[in-house]
Amino acid sequence: MEGKEALQTQHSDTIVRVSGFVKRYKKDVAVDGVDLEVRRGEIYGLIGPDGSGKSSLMKAIAGVLTYDAGAVDVFGTRVDSERAAERIKPNIGFLPQGLGLNLYPELSIEENIDFFAQLRLVSDRDLAERKTRLLAMTRLERFRDRPMKNLSGGMKQKLGLICTLIHEPDLAILDEPTTGVDPVSRRDFWSILTELLQEKGMTALVSTAYMDEAARFHRLSFLSRGKVLVSGTPMEVQTLVPGSVVTFETTPQVQAIARLKQSFKQVESLGPLLHVFTPTADQSEARLQINTALGDLVPTALRVDEPELEDVFVALLLQKAEHKETSDAQPTAEAGHGRDGLAIEAEGLIRDFGSFRAVDRVSFQVKQGEIFGLLGANGAGKTTVIKMLNGILLPTGGAGRVAGADMRTAAGSIKERIGYMSQAFSLYLDLTVEENIRLFAGIYGLDKRAMSERYRWIITMAGLSGYESSLTSRLPMGVRQRLALGCALVHNPRVLFLDEPTSGVDPIGRRHFWEILSRLAREAGVAILITTHYMSEAEHCDNLALMYAGRIVAEGSPVDMKRQVEHEAGRLFEVVAEHPAKALVHLRQAGFHRAALFGTKLHFFCRDPVRDRDCARHALEGSGVRVISLHERPLSLEDVFVYRVMALEQAAKQEAAA
Amino acid sequence: MPGPELEERVNRKDGSSFEVVRLWALRLVVMTRKELLQLGRDVPLLLFLLYSFSLSVYISGAGIAMQLSNASLLVHDGDHSESSRELIHRFREPYFRFDGDVSDPKEGLARLDRGTAMVLLDIPPRFHESILGREPVTVQLQVDTTNAPQGLSAAAYAARIVGGFSFDLALSRLGAASNNQMPMPMVESAHRVWFNQDQDETWFQSISHILRMITLFAFLLPAAALVREKEHGTVEQLLVSPVTPLQIMLSKVLAMTLVILAATTLAMVTVLKPVFGVPIKGSASLFLLVTVLYTFTIAGLGLFAATVTKNQAQVGMIALLVIAPMLLLSGITTPFEAMPPWVQSLMALSPLRYYIDVTYGVLLKGVGLELLWDSILTMALLGGVLFGLGLWRFRRQFA
Repeated sequence: MEGKEALQTQHSDTIVRVSGFVKRYKKDVAVDGVDLEVRRGEIYGLIGPDGSGKSSLMKAIAGVLTYDAGAVDVFGTRVDSERAAERIKPNIGFLPQGLGLNLYPELSIEENIDFFAQLRLVSDRDLAERKTRLLAMTRLERFRDRPMKNLSGGMKQKLGLICTLIHEPDLAILDEPTTGVDPVSRRDFWSILTELLQEKGMTALVSTAYMDEAARFHRLSFLSRGKVLVSGTPMEVQTLVPGSVVTFETTPQVQAIARLKQSFKQVESLGPLLHVFTPTADQSEARLQINTALGDLVPTALRVDEPELEDVFVALLLQKAEHKETSDAQPTAEAGHGRDGLAIEAEGLIRDFGSFRAVDRVSFQVKQGEIFGLLGANGAGKTTVIKMLNGILLPTGGAGRVAGADMRTAAGSIKERIGYMSQAFSLYLDLTVEENIRLFAGIYGLDKRAMSERYRWIITMAGLSGYESSLTSRLPMGVRQRLALGCALVHNPRVLFLDEPTSGVDPIGRRHFWEILSRLAREAGVAILITTHYMSEAEHCDNLALMYAGRIVAEGSPVDMKRQVEHEAGRLFEVVAEHPAKALVHLRQAGFHRAALFGTKLHFFCRDPVRDRDCARHALEGSGVRVISLHERPLSLEDVFVYRVMALEQAAKQEAAA
Repeated sequence: MPGPELEERVNRKDGSSFEVVRLWALRLVVMTRKELLQLGRDVPLLLFLLYSFSLSVYISGAGIAMQLSNASLLVHDGDHSESSRELIHRFREPYFRFDGDVSDPKEGLARLDRGTAMVLLDIPPRFHESILGREPVTVQLQVDTTNAPQGLSAAAYAARIVGGFSFDLALSRLGAASNNQMPMPMVESAHRVWFNQDQDETWFQSISHILRMITLFAFLLPAAALVREKEHGTVEQLLVSPVTPLQIMLSKVLAMTLVILAATTLAMVTVLKPVFGVPIKGSASLFLLVTVLYTFTIAGLGLFAATVTKNQAQVGMIALLVIAPMLLLSGITTPFEAMPPWVQSLMALSPLRYYIDVTYGVLLKGVGLELLWDSILTMALLGGVLFGLGLWRFRRQFA
């Protein structure tokens, strides 16, 4: 099979070549002079926030969108006419953006697959064979008669992938296939995709808004505002911006941040931890720089790591200085709410929908000034919990107090004391920034003086000056999110609920957003309950609870949760080996069942770091796979999430079998 | 700097009941203003609204004619006599248009088939002779009744013309026979046309059209606004705020009622009076007041539809399902009295039926509350029930 060796042997074999590509929508330039080249057998990544031009580029390559300038060649055919596009289409599989948008909701899994196969004239024999294999691989065979509309987000995307690949195209174009999919399904999706491509020798062009997925690509381009900011292999990109990431604890945190900001552009607070990107690769130099900047504050629990790709992208974006959104005006510290007392108390909350128990005896507490993260896959019950606490959904059982009011009896008082930002952007797009703020100020009954005070406060806090009379629909995603936050804060609430607030926002926008949240919690004592799909964001929380099937299955601070998993499963190691696919097989044979492909790298857990590590090295080198590097990696919260949920799924399956 | 006193100002609701009412009203006003702002930003919708209440009223008033006019008449004259010519001559404009002779009745039938003629008059040979010989004679009239109302009135008009011709013949013959004027027993019908003396059809049609447009917009505007909030998720944001479901729904009705009221006034001022000369005999403010009540009623229905649908396309379909039969069967398209009894009792539930009574009563007949109170009361009751249903569904949907 040629695919397996693709990376090494076929560099000259270009599948897609794009040069000087320009796409305009009326006056707006969506893509502005992009060049890229996709080679046979690789997974090429397009990374960038919403509106960076990924989708336009992918559609043009798939032959379904005309463009204004430049050239697109696919399989050596210039895609410049309807006819040329029709010539390349038989060898392309295209998965458009959006969960299951290309599928038919009323048809079952099997009917969907059959339809796409028949459309592509796949012979009955091939179809039967591929269907069996793909359904097994995606673990969907049990559901083959279930209508597509009743599938979860992750399952829909897996079905979408099957339908896109059923005719075994030479090139698969997948537009944000993992957006809105929980971490476990995301990992699933990636391992299926990687295995399939390797096996069939296919090439894939994949876009994503998750920066942490960047390491999974063989090569990638990072897009920002219609331009390529950087391209190359993840390794190459990383070396472009040499630096280290220093993580440590120190108090008082607010003061430390102020000092660090004078020397460093990227300072993030992750719960009690501070996370600083230093522009030097030399670790001792990095420590020194931090100590100098902190002055008399003493860092504890300090560690220095290689930067992640996200840190690199942010550094690049800041270098290009095309981000004018970073407001110099810092949020004015507003009235404190007092650190004492509990902001949210949930005691044994239960909610049934018919015979289905969506939330099952959920209890937790959030103090004033605390950022609390509720994690879990789609349908785990997070949103239901929030709705009950907000007083828009009555609990079937249990009790709760929010901002000092009982959620069963005083829903009205709760509504006046909380701020809420929902999953989808939920302000009025056809109103201006000012009109939106004034609307919510009016709804919360602010009088004239209070309204103008809060209006000025929100404009400064969210960095909205200059946007006051812009229609909300014209704002970039990051600015919209901050406006939504501003509107949720218009009445100076004591408790803030955020339901997946940052989807689709670019990394700098997300960091800016979190900076505001940290200040609100630290300085104003606002209690924040947040749900998110970005595990890298969960690191910002003081405490976390992981929900699975309506229950809380793990809780604690991010550090505690990682420690628990390390205690149970061992340390996480990363191998860079010459033949990743072969290496995976050998590692699994050697007893590392959890080993998984991560782009060109492999991840696996070691219970006994020294012994297992040698064992792994032997297993690989003994079977002729050269190991380029093998080292320990800090566990991410995504690893924790996946580990926990996989264990629970395993247990549920065994229970069902028994 | 906003301090704790702000929070107090915000949460100061422990105060008097006046304060509670003031806040409640303020929220309603804020929400209503938002609806108007949003509508103002929707330029295509505004243009459509403007067209519907101006040009479109004119087009329907001037264009829709239910009376017989200009029906194409073919004649097969087998007699070519003085009498046959006179009969043909009586088929006059504006009701009939003489479209020529045919030499063969078959040719005439073929033209009926093709649809290029509507009426074929066949006068037999020896028509004149028979009349002179005082024998009864028959002329044949073939009418295309594919369009039943037009065809039937063509036949009726034709029968009247032939009847009149025959009566005149009889009269002149009698007069000729006995030289003295003999009194004849006869019954004459003398019309006295009320309310629309010129029998000007444009009045009825243009007013009907305005009623149609009011119904359509009163249903669609609030329904679309609510379902759009559901689609965009903004309704959730509202529900976690102190705004109540009643305020959310009421603000939409208020805003849309204002808009429709303005549009109706526009139609009356720019088209009804100056162009068609519709006399507004009763009180215009009573008409507008009833229009507010009617809009509220239909908006309740629309909001109910919005609670059972997921997106604007579905709302559009429900509108077709609910509004179309209402428009067709409530009495502006066809006479209510002509409908089968079960349709009549079904339409007792249609607010439009009562609104029509009131509208024509006020605008053309000039009657007032003293005669129309029962219609208005029924409409108000229907409105209350529909709005209550919508509110109930809306609350349930999110609980």
